[in-house]
Amino acid sequence: MSDSDSNQLPEWQPSQPRRRSSLPGTGDLSRRLMDDMDPEVLEFLKTTVNSFIKWDLVIFFFENPHTTDTLDNIARYIGRDAVVIKTDLEDLVKAGVLEQHASGTLTVYSLTKDARIREKIKHFVSASDDRQFRVKAIYHLIRGTR
Amino acid sequence: MERVKTGITGLDEMLGGGFLSQSANLVEGAPGTGKSTLGMQFIYGGITQFDQPGLILTFEEFAQQYYEDAANFGWDFRALEQANKLRVIMTSPEVSYSDLGGVDGRIQAMIKEIGAQRILVDSLSHFDRLSDDPVARRGILYGFINSLKREGLTSLLTRESSALIGELESPEEDVAFVADSYLMLRYVEIESAIRKALVVLKLRGSDHAKDIRQYEITRNGIEVQSRFEGREGIMSGSPRRMADSFVEAFVRR
Repeated sequence: MSDSDSNQLPEWQPSQPRRRSSLPGTGDLSRRLMDDMDPEVLEFLKTTVNSFIKWDLVIFFFENPHTTDTLDNIARYIGRDAVVIKTDLEDLVKAGVLEQHASGTLTVYSLTKDARIREKIKHFVSASDDRQFRVKAIYHLIRGTR
Repeated sequence: MERVKTGITGLDEMLGGGFLSQSANLVEGAPGTGKSTLGMQFIYGGITQFDQPGLILTFEEFAQQYYEDAANFGWDFRALEQANKLRVIMTSPEVSYSDLGGVDGRIQAMIKEIGAQRILVDSLSHFDRLSDDPVARRGILYGFINSLKREGLTSLLTRESSALIGELESPEEDVAFVADSYLMLRYVEIESAIRKALVVLKLRGSDHAKDIRQYEITRNGIEVQSRFEGREGIMSGSPRRMADSFVEAFVRR
């Protein structure tokens, strides 16, 4: 390579957004971390349990499967503020993980009776008992929050 | 009258055969006296000895805690849930009151789903937060207890007592009044050791044992033992030998 060639640097284009995969090794690391995850669990993590609050809620309802209570009380049970969990709780209702009912003037939440979704939850919770899985899943959730 | 046996050694005998069917039975005691254990044993015994499915309504402890506590006594609550004989429901007084007071409630559905005949409500003390007004609170409790009876359930309702030992507080009249039976669990100090005492204060429409019995929480659950012999003032928490009180009453005059 001649000196004149080395001086011809590619034109800098600041308006062009930088792709994440262009960060050294990030794309590969992410792919490597997720590649050996069970596809069904990975899908559940990506589409349904895609926040730490949803993770807390899913674990809570799995461990206490017949819970029937209000937003405020459920927030207390998982040690968080009702305002903070409201959106995530409603997202889990939309995803079919939880059911919402009216009880008099109260709105109460409980775990779905759908056996297929309960099986997915069981599969997810069982996978999250493994430390390696948790590390990968946390990495995925942190990336998702960026 | 039809009796619902608790399955607890010694207690059924004190109750003249067991609780009355579809009655509300209050168990009051300080923390650690074994109210929840007695309640769990009532539910477990109902399922395993008398084929009567049961429900546990918990307002504070997590359902998971019940599974673990029960497992310590060798009672597999998860297996009983899978067999549709038991439901441990974590909820709140406001939700359970509203659910059972209305129609097509989630808790009502679970009662029907497993054909529940017994229920443990742990604990009734949490209803206190629903109203500061004692008249309103008594109305709420009356309605709640009647909804359990309407569903055909024989209930065991726990209530916390803040007095660990010593002078008894005045009984919580609002609950004691509406309950069909009233059992009290107490700590008793005898010769520098803490023991536990149980007494049946009330059993509506039926005779019952009037004596105060010792009990222990063993690895099999609660076992009611013999009465406290030769002592008086048991429920004060610091009983005296009867001979001492005789001397105090007559000789020292």
